[in-house]
Amino acid sequence: MHKPVYIQYLSLVSPLGNTVEQHLEAFKNGVSGIKLTEKAGFQDTSIPLAKREGNSSNRYDTLLREALEKARQKLSSKLFENMAVIVSSTKGNIDLLPGDTFASTKPIIHEFFPKTDVFIISNACVSGVIAINTAADYILAEKYQEIIVIGIDAVSEFVSFGFQSLFALSNEACRPFDKDRNGTTLGEGCGIVLVSEEKVSESAVLYKGGSSSNDANHISGPSRTGEGLVRSIEKTFKRSGFTASDIDFVSAHGTATVFNDEMESIAFGRTNLNQVPLNSMKGYFGHTLGAAGVLETIMSIISMEHNTLFPCIGYCETGTSVPLNIIQRMESKEINTILKTASGFGGGNASLILQKLP
Amino acid sequence: MKILAHSYVCPQAVLLNGKPVSDLKNEENPFKSAYQQLGVDYPKFYKMDVLSKMAFIGTELLLPYFPEGIDQENDLQLIFANSSASQNTDNLFVESYEKLKNPSPSLFVYTLPNIVTGELSIRHKWYGENCFYVEDSFNPGHFSEWAQMAFDKGNKSCLCGWVEAKTDGEQECFLFLLTNSENADNSIELELSTLIKQYRNE
Repeated sequence: MHKPVYIQYLSLVSPLGNTVEQHLEAFKNGVSGIKLTEKAGFQDTSIPLAKREGNSSNRYDTLLREALEKARQKLSSKLFENMAVIVSSTKGNIDLLPGDTFASTKPIIHEFFPKTDVFIISNACVSGVIAINTAADYILAEKYQEIIVIGIDAVSEFVSFGFQSLFALSNEACRPFDKDRNGTTLGEGCGIVLVSEEKVSESAVLYKGGSSSNDANHISGPSRTGEGLVRSIEKTFKRSGFTASDIDFVSAHGTATVFNDEMESIAFGRTNLNQVPLNSMKGYFGHTLGAAGVLETIMSIISMEHNTLFPCIGYCETGTSVPLNIIQRMESKEINTILKTASGFGGGNASLILQKLP
Repeated sequence: MKILAHSYVCPQAVLLNGKPVSDLKNEENPFKSAYQQLGVDYPKFYKMDVLSKMAFIGTELLLPYFPEGIDQENDLQLIFANSSASQNTDNLFVESYEKLKNPSPSLFVYTLPNIVTGELSIRHKWYGENCFYVEDSFNPGHFSEWAQMAFDKGNKSCLCGWVEAKTDGEQECFLFLLTNSENADNSIELELSTLIKQYRNE
């Protein structure tokens, strides 16, 4: 890394609240956004979801506008002449089918940031981490001075029915890494961070490096050996100059499907991260797909800011062949360096490392 | 940066480096015919969505042009984009639950555009970096930026693709293989915009 790259949070909207402070309270109190939701599944079955109130259509557009409004308030005193926006989303606004599901994204962003260059990354559940990595690449390439990264996905019957058809949904709130986990729980949210060449807010931490990889194994099933995730973590270590012993906290992907969490445990074992305090935030947010990487990065920055490890809610007992150091209760710990990982459909993996400012 | 080779696949024809490889105009099932003409044995091809089928064919043709002496398994980045994400399969999946009352898991797994890069990675044992963008239209400047950033962080070559399968029938896949040649002119934008115009007969 040739020059510092900063990352700071701007906005966080999910069923847990509309502000960063509300999310901090929810995490401190172990509150989950997941509720059993009537008639949300195929043929009106009830499924657990982390869904915001209301059944409006265009949930994506509403969510995007709410989060952007809050982000713009934080930036209002600054004038950004050389800024771009990168959006991370798996589906965009699904209500726009049969047309282009991403057609509304750029016009909505331009309501708040007129004429800004907008890039959209749609790379399944690793989109959020890849979007932050790409923002840092752009800053290092000196193409832009600031990049707003937006991670967003909304709950939809399309995605719920799809996960049901794959038998990938849990019948209760999902239980990442637990012995009795039996699937994921879907959620929705929007998180916005600013990646910049200069420190812009008090929440700023340093972005130290990141990478992506592919399992080269299966389009919808995780690798049995964790090979892809191992390669991404190792590449990120190499690019950042860090090793496993430097990492104080791992924000894992942890979807709570049987095979995904098992794969991650093997990968963390192979990269000597199995002793490092680790959580999955899917028990709070559900799996927010394209938003997950950004939401969970924001909460990792908050963990660093408050020197607090948040528990992996839903987890009770070791349920992976490689035991991990899963955080079970809130504790204080000096957190200087964190690793965020993600894995998803299409065999994608991604990771990044953040460090507190000296 | 240098373009080592390029290919173009659409329902009418398959071309490699500007020259026709297969004429598909009279084929009832053009991509199946194009696949069969490749002479490769990869039965998974038949279960792929249209995006993956086109990218599969286009990539097979580029294989002889991959640079030697690089760690293709780790140092090749895949950079793909289109404007309609997985629209074609999305609409088929909606049909499976709205009309047929049976949400199809085999369709659902293709309702993400990056499944294309997953399929290519599986086929060729590529473990390197991947990224899929959704853009208004093919933008040579953006591809050039993304490839330069990929090289800046240590990747040695990039397989780039514009791969589109809209429900209204527009289907095309333009692939180009890039290497970070230090001697070559770093701007490939003009070359790319000329190539896609030629391929589209614009």
